[in-house]
Amino acid sequence: MVSLIATDRVTKIFEVGGMFTAKKYIKAVDNVSLELGENEILCLVGESGCGKSTLGRLMLDLIRPSSGRVLYEGKNICSLKGKEYKEFRRNAQLIPQDPYSTLNPMKKVVSSLMPPLLHYKIARNRREARKMAAELLTMVGLSPPEDILERFPCRLSGGQLQRIAIARAISVQPKFIVADEAVSMIDASLRVGILNLMLDIQRKFKTTFLFITHDLAIARYFARDRKIAVMYLGNIVEIGRTEEVIQNPLHPYTKVLVEAVPIPDPKLARERPLPKLKSLEIPSLINPPPGCKFHTRCPLAEKICKEKDPELRLVKGRLVACHLY
Amino acid sequence: MRWIVKRALVAVLTIYIVITITFFLIRLMPGSFIEQMIYYYMNTYGYSREEAEMEVYALYNVMPREPVWKQYIEYMLGLLRGDWGKCYSTGAPVLSSLLYFLPWTVFLLSISMTISFVIGIGLGILMAYKRGSKLDSIASTFASISQATPNFILGLLLLYLFAYYYPIFPKRGSYSVMVTPGFTLEFIGSVLYHSFLPMMAYVITSIGGWMLGMRGSAIRVLGEDYVMAAEARGLKSGRIARTYVGRNAILPLFTSFAISLGYMFGGSVFIETYFAYTGIGSTIGLALSWRDYPLIQGGFLLITSAVVFSVFIADILYGVLDPRIRVGGAYA
Amino acid sequence: MLKPTAQRPMALSKLIDALHYHIYEPLVLLSSDKRALAGLIILVVYILMAIIGPMLIPLDLTPHPEKRYLPPSWEHPLGTDFAGRDIFAQIVHGGKDVLPVAFLAGFVTVLIGTAVGIISGYIGGKLDTVITTFIDVFLTIPGFPLLLIVAVWLARSGIVINIFIIALLLSITSWAGLARSIRAQVLSLKEEAFIEAAKCLGLSKRHIVFSEIMPNLMSYIAINFMLSSVGAVYSYTGLLALGLIPYTPGNWGAMIHMAQAYVGTVTGAGCWYILAPSLTIVILQIGLVFLANGIDKIFNPRLRER
Repeated sequence: MVSLIATDRVTKIFEVGGMFTAKKYIKAVDNVSLELGENEILCLVGESGCGKSTLGRLMLDLIRPSSGRVLYEGKNICSLKGKEYKEFRRNAQLIPQDPYSTLNPMKKVVSSLMPPLLHYKIARNRREARKMAAELLTMVGLSPPEDILERFPCRLSGGQLQRIAIARAISVQPKFIVADEAVSMIDASLRVGILNLMLDIQRKFKTTFLFITHDLAIARYFARDRKIAVMYLGNIVEIGRTEEVIQNPLHPYTKVLVEAVPIPDPKLARERPLPKLKSLEIPSLINPPPGCKFHTRCPLAEKICKEKDPELRLVKGRLVACHLY
Repeated sequence: MRWIVKRALVAVLTIYIVITITFFLIRLMPGSFIEQMIYYYMNTYGYSREEAEMEVYALYNVMPREPVWKQYIEYMLGLLRGDWGKCYSTGAPVLSSLLYFLPWTVFLLSISMTISFVIGIGLGILMAYKRGSKLDSIASTFASISQATPNFILGLLLLYLFAYYYPIFPKRGSYSVMVTPGFTLEFIGSVLYHSFLPMMAYVITSIGGWMLGMRGSAIRVLGEDYVMAAEARGLKSGRIARTYVGRNAILPLFTSFAISLGYMFGGSVFIETYFAYTGIGSTIGLALSWRDYPLIQGGFLLITSAVVFSVFIADILYGVLDPRIRVGGAYA
Repeated sequence: MLKPTAQRPMALSKLIDALHYHIYEPLVLLSSDKRALAGLIILVVYILMAIIGPMLIPLDLTPHPEKRYLPPSWEHPLGTDFAGRDIFAQIVHGGKDVLPVAFLAGFVTVLIGTAVGIISGYIGGKLDTVITTFIDVFLTIPGFPLLLIVAVWLARSGIVINIFIIALLLSITSWAGLARSIRAQVLSLKEEAFIEAAKCLGLSKRHIVFSEIMPNLMSYIAINFMLSSVGAVYSYTGLLALGLIPYTPGNWGAMIHMAQAYVGTVTGAGCWYILAPSLTIVILQIGLVFLANGIDKIFNPRLRER
């Protein structure tokens, strides 16, 4: 069975430093291999700066990898041309983090929704495109659509703008959507609404979702009964079924992450033991520690952890990258 | 370091392009201009072909019968040697004629630009501090009018109003004919007296640009965090204005200052002609009316070189003064 | 003020919406800025004068030496010139020479500057480096002296000097500044999230440039069109004032050329010959500058009703 979208040992290195200082390199994504089939949800969690957004954009061909391949339906996207590439492009969409800047401020909402419909000939003419745009808005819970269509983005709230972004992403009927911190900039009270909207869309159209977030609680909500992957400094350290990973984390980093989730009850929170970490310093991406990148903070680190980078191994039905197993 | 070399190369390239343009304009003048000159010399003065060609060569540094690329190289070498041809009208060498008049223009322009710049940016900062007030509004209107007025028209009006209608100022000349040149007080006084109106023409029409430019730049700087931090620390606002706001806001204006020299030179053609002021501008003006091509060419080249040079210096100064470029990092 | 949308037929309602959006609202926005409004009025007056004026007021160029330098009167609202000809008529007819040239030159400048800026900024890479160097070179060469040289060459070359040639000439020296600032704008727009979104949706490069980037450049372009026209008026009247381009005597720049030659002999009421074209030119420039400074309000969606 050919996966829908997969990465094969993908690495991305960014250059930093310019005319007057020496060049430095940041390995944002390090040798990551993932596979996603149809109708799948994978949540990608990790701290800020661990490379999750970069990985997402690599899978959408918004950035090209430094090494490794990204495969769409088994074929390397770098080698796709013409019609095949257009096919891929249509089926790989993004719901970005910042709703305020993702729509062209100079264009009315309708002018932002119509072009993709016309480009892929989903609508035959402008009148049809306009009608479809209105239907899309209703689908994402914005009504009456006629009013919103004629507005400029500066007149709309964050929640409304994000729904429009979602409408735009699903307008081309993609098989694969990357939601990059899609609710991080939305008010807490509105988040569930947007999350439920995305879940509805997933269920209805059977779209594959790569849901990127730093918030375990949101990941747990979105990906229940599905899979979750934990990322640290460019590596995937654990992948498995969401409930299993959260209830019973195997990788030391996952354990710390789970323990760090705030508890609403202040009494219980005060009594909680602090996570056991050797050091609180996060290593820099320019000079990553040798071997397992977590060994500088890992309370269970052994000699081998300093030397060899662990690979993902099958442990208790999950993939974990740790020398303990 | 690489930055300086790059700017130097661009400067050299610019001058090179200007030389090439003037060369080809002369060569490509339809009606085979050079040929016409040769025939003119042959017929009017009875020169032989070779003699006529020598004459033209002396004027233009172009040997008529040689292939184009050879003429081009001859021309360039001549320029570098200092031989810029001879004036068609006077027979005097172009370069020395231009250099004779250049100091007057430099004197006039440098004083005008300095006054205009200093007062302009002073007012600009004031306007930025008091933005939105009546003062700001009136000053902005004045600045816009200043920017809009062509300098030669103001020159003409000033000349008419204050030299003819109310004869306060002299009508022509860079100094009174009754005074002998020298380092005497009398001479210097006369020079200043004669240059007052032209200076006013330059200053009034260019001050607006500085006012608005500085105002915009200062407003941007005033919004920056380090200014707020300085105010919070309790520094006197005068000191903040000079040291923090002033220095940071001026930086972007450096290059514009150098480029404005180009505009001033352009205007000088009119203003010096109207006031019969003996500078490069009026020289070029006369050259234009006499169609003295070698002189026009030389004047253009000289002016452009001056501007290119000052832009280059301004860029380097900017690079030196802006620590962000010196130290590198995320900037640039 | 307008009837509710549902009660009007579709096409008419669209027309009214468009008019409201493109004409009524901009006027309201502009009038909040007194200077910009003054600029617009000045511009309209000048355009009307240039179009209708020559039809209403005949131009009589026959010299009447006995009428030299008459002061303003009903018959000659601005007096007469050194040859006894009516100044007012000359000013009115001058408009039809200067205004078209100025706006055409402004238009060509904006066309060249925008095209170069967009190409250089959007495509980037080596082409960008080459074009930027080119822009820098043209920015440094003093525009007006270059113009003088080319004008002199042109005069001798026998090429017929019509309005298009002059407009092209004036643009050659002024496109560089706009190109540089458009390029800077395009470079920063390229990084915006909505451009990434457009790329992700697979929209064509053509669409991205014309439909996504250009609307964000419109205010720059409009402002620069005005300012380029100001520069064109300066250069055009300047060239005329030096006598480097052939002209018809009603032309304002030509009048300055004559006025300068006669300045020594002008007495009393003859000052009108100097003042009239000077003030006409200056007022036009001021109008354009005021309008340019206020026009960016029109393009800001935040200031609109919806």
